[in-house]
Amino acid sequence: MDAARKKKVSVFSAHIVLIIASFFFMIPFIWMVSTSLKPLTQVFTFPPEWIPKPVKWSNYIDAMNYIPFFTYLKNTIIITVLSTVGAVLSCPIVAYSFAKLKWPGRNILFIITIGVMMIPGQVTMIPLFLLFEKLGMVGTPYPLILPAFFGIPFYIFLLRQFFMGLPDSLREAAKIDGASEFRIYWQIMLPLAKPAVLAVGLFQFMASWTDFIGPLLYLTDSVQYTLSLGLQQFQSQKGSEWGLMMAVSTMMTIPVVILFFFLQKTFIKGITFSGIK
Amino acid sequence: MKQKKKRIGALALIFVLTLSMILSGCSSKSSSSEKGNKNQTTVTFWHPMTDVTGEAVDAVIKEFEKQNPDIKINAVYTANQGEGQNEKLMTAISGGNPPDVAYFDRFEIGSWAAQGSLEDLTQLAASSGVTKDTYYPFAWDEANYQGKLYGIPTTTDSRLVYFNINHFKEAGLDPENPPKTIAELEAAAEKLTKKKGKRFERIGFIPWFGQGWFYGWGWSFGGEFFNTETNKATATDPKVVEALQWITDYAKKYNVEDIAGFTDSQGQGAMDPFLTGQLSMKVSGPWEVSAIKKFKPDLKYGVFPMPTPTGENHTTWSGGWSVVIPKGAKNKDAAWEFMKFFGGEEGQKIFSGIARDFSVIDSVNGELGYKEDPILKEFVNILPVSHHRPVMTQGSLYWNELASAVENATRGNGTPEELLEKVNEKVNKELSK
Amino acid sequence: MKGNIQLAENKNSPKTESINQINITAKKRLPNGGQYKTGILFASPWIIGLLVFYAIPLFSSIYFSFTTYSILQPGEFIGLQNYKDLLKDQLFWKSVYNTVYFAVFYVPLGIIFGVALAMMLNMKVKGMAVYRTIFFLPTLVPHVALAVLWMWLLNPGFGLVNGILSTIGIEGPSWLGSETWSKPSLILMSLWGIGQAVVIYLAGLGDIPEDYYDAANVDGANWFQKTFHITLPLLTPVIFFNLVMGIIGAFQQFTLPYTLTQGKGTPANSLTFYVMYLYDNGFKFFKMGYASAMAWVLFVIVMALTAFVFLTSKRWVHYQGK
Repeated sequence: MDAARKKKVSVFSAHIVLIIASFFFMIPFIWMVSTSLKPLTQVFTFPPEWIPKPVKWSNYIDAMNYIPFFTYLKNTIIITVLSTVGAVLSCPIVAYSFAKLKWPGRNILFIITIGVMMIPGQVTMIPLFLLFEKLGMVGTPYPLILPAFFGIPFYIFLLRQFFMGLPDSLREAAKIDGASEFRIYWQIMLPLAKPAVLAVGLFQFMASWTDFIGPLLYLTDSVQYTLSLGLQQFQSQKGSEWGLMMAVSTMMTIPVVILFFFLQKTFIKGITFSGIK
Repeated sequence: MKQKKKRIGALALIFVLTLSMILSGCSSKSSSSEKGNKNQTTVTFWHPMTDVTGEAVDAVIKEFEKQNPDIKINAVYTANQGEGQNEKLMTAISGGNPPDVAYFDRFEIGSWAAQGSLEDLTQLAASSGVTKDTYYPFAWDEANYQGKLYGIPTTTDSRLVYFNINHFKEAGLDPENPPKTIAELEAAAEKLTKKKGKRFERIGFIPWFGQGWFYGWGWSFGGEFFNTETNKATATDPKVVEALQWITDYAKKYNVEDIAGFTDSQGQGAMDPFLTGQLSMKVSGPWEVSAIKKFKPDLKYGVFPMPTPTGENHTTWSGGWSVVIPKGAKNKDAAWEFMKFFGGEEGQKIFSGIARDFSVIDSVNGELGYKEDPILKEFVNILPVSHHRPVMTQGSLYWNELASAVENATRGNGTPEELLEKVNEKVNKELSK
Repeated sequence: MKGNIQLAENKNSPKTESINQINITAKKRLPNGGQYKTGILFASPWIIGLLVFYAIPLFSSIYFSFTTYSILQPGEFIGLQNYKDLLKDQLFWKSVYNTVYFAVFYVPLGIIFGVALAMMLNMKVKGMAVYRTIFFLPTLVPHVALAVLWMWLLNPGFGLVNGILSTIGIEGPSWLGSETWSKPSLILMSLWGIGQAVVIYLAGLGDIPEDYYDAANVDGANWFQKTFHITLPLLTPVIFFNLVMGIIGAFQQFTLPYTLTQGKGTPANSLTFYVMYLYDNGFKFFKMGYASAMAWVLFVIVMALTAFVFLTSKRWVHYQGK
């Protein structure tokens, strides 16, 4: 077999494997979309029907009327975008400092940073709430946005690992050229960590987009509510409106899918250091 | 160096700009609670009701505001309130900024009152002539803790055994004469069950399925779960042990792991095994009626009280909701006016009429025709002898412990006596703290 | 760029800097006095954030763990009583067992599947963007929906899983209804949602310079050699991250089993995980003091494990830095 044919075969088998695996990973999403188009009586039939008949598009319209969809959407977008901006601005620079700059107390602080993730949020939730109550921020979206601007341990750790993986030689070369630390960070190191920074942005976007307990505790007026709180409104004591709930879920998921689709390009292998120097 | 400063300056600028963006973006903080004219008192009311119940509560509020033009109700939907999930209300109370009225699971009044987080309503009730006589005894008692009133009951329910009439006929059982005693129940269940290998085609009955919580069986066997005088759990009451022994034997007879397939999919709309005909009898509440109407309108079914060993003294238990004033609320008097209306005859008629939940006032249930409906009347008629779960500081712990004792007993992880002894020990240790 | 392949091989030698050596490097006199000012300046947002948003809640929870705090009442100071009670609490031990069981299987499986998937998704074939998006989808579906879906798929009588098994002649277990199979079921479900870890691995793969592979190709290296001598060693900083976060995450497993069992941990408490029990104590049984004690016990367990991972990391984590 010549090399070209060999390549063809391997590409073909890769597709086969990927398609089979994709099938398993698509089940939840297909189920969600299919449920979003079913009348309530069809949601739990046996054996499962994957294709709703008839397709009930009106679930989407009903869902948007059942809750103030656009108000919730607007609130969700504001909170999500701002907290993502916050995380993307603050975490990389802190992580860079942990990875590449040497200063007293750095390692202790890094250990503490990892340590704070080990305490379950259920325990710190109340003291944190009381803190925001004292700051007069309960009933506003600030508690859901502000902390992101000061760094989030998970992302700091993640980005630190990426910066650790970048060769120091780049930094040293730039230093010899007389570049300032900030310039090295901003113009050399940050662009190299772009896949990781985008991953952090994506994660924060998703976390904030679907956050339930935060909005539940801190928002006290229904005009401030977010979509994840709206999702709960489809569950009542008399059973849930699964079709409508999944319609909103689907509408909530689509933007993230699109976002991911475009971001994933940057994850493609192929950094060339030689181009930078 | 200069370059560096400039860069840091730029970064700081981005920071400030973004922060100010937040400020402007979010300063549209709503002030809907302040609207209305100056003479009006605004009562904030947190509730988890949506759908028809949401409509029902809106109707109550509308009528109340019409009659009380000086009070405005600011109703806020709050997810996860009641049934053991109260993070928001808890944090709000501990932060000193709770709503004026909260819709509240009556089951939790005892423990919250013991924590000092609900306002004592005894005085207010006495001065406005709201008394026990208006309500079903269990509903009123459940809203009281240590002789003081902490909530006004609003809704209730009860539990009976539903049975599939066609299955009864097919198995040669008389649907006019459903089981009264435990022995009759077992015999009927045996006739109704069809098993092939490990798989059930149909199960006659699963005691712990649906609303077959242990409290119901314990009381049906004549046991008592709590001694109010000594403030002690009495899970080892011989009758209670007997009830669990019966459930355990039942589980053994039918092999619990084979049954598990039905139980872990419980309560999911049209998939419910009673509706699909895989289960012939099931303990459930009045809401099952509307589920059947929705998903399986042609199902022929009837109801009978939970059987007892003797076939007499049938009983059940009831839960339900109430309205309370959390500690630290600002407008107590106006809040009370609203609660009085909601729990009063007029409010009850509006609410129960739309939500189709039973009222806590017997006459209202009569007026709304619940006593004429062939199925619903059975649920209403048993209310006067219904139990409520013990009003105690550790209600949730006791509930969870009993539930896991039943699970462990049915799965053979210990005998009923041992397990109930452990429940007693754990709960009483907490109670004595 | 000829030197690069050699550089990559160097990664396997213990010379390279690794995390636990940070202590040593810190002790080295600072090469540049100005660096530490910049270092602190760069880290300052987090220093402030840590002090404002983390210090107070964390210290409060340590204090609460010595009291009978109930959220609604401040409670009394009882010293170590909560910790002593924990040792005698059977359900606590059960929850520890369940959680450790989950972690022991989930963390390694998560890493193996995650890395394998990421490498698969990093291949250069047409339509990869679509595949990647598909593999990410399960992480986007709300937990309530996932829970219902799984109960459906794993239904012993009619579920898809046992349906498939029965066509090949195997009688499937009752999965979530069985004490033996409930935890394996949960591990299976959790593996479905490793999209986030895969994204991190993909970003890590994206950070591996193309030059290394080019050089390896010139040397005639095969796929196996490239994977084990370039890809995996250079991915270790990210694997290390996912390992630590996987341990932390596994020990804090909460949302999925909680929604799946409506908070009950059924059957027979076989799905009562540590944080679920902690949550019940704090928010249902009015024992936030006790819950806080649980949190700090968890902290000690996870910290010990993490420290162990950090210590061993010298042997297997290779940073390109230096």
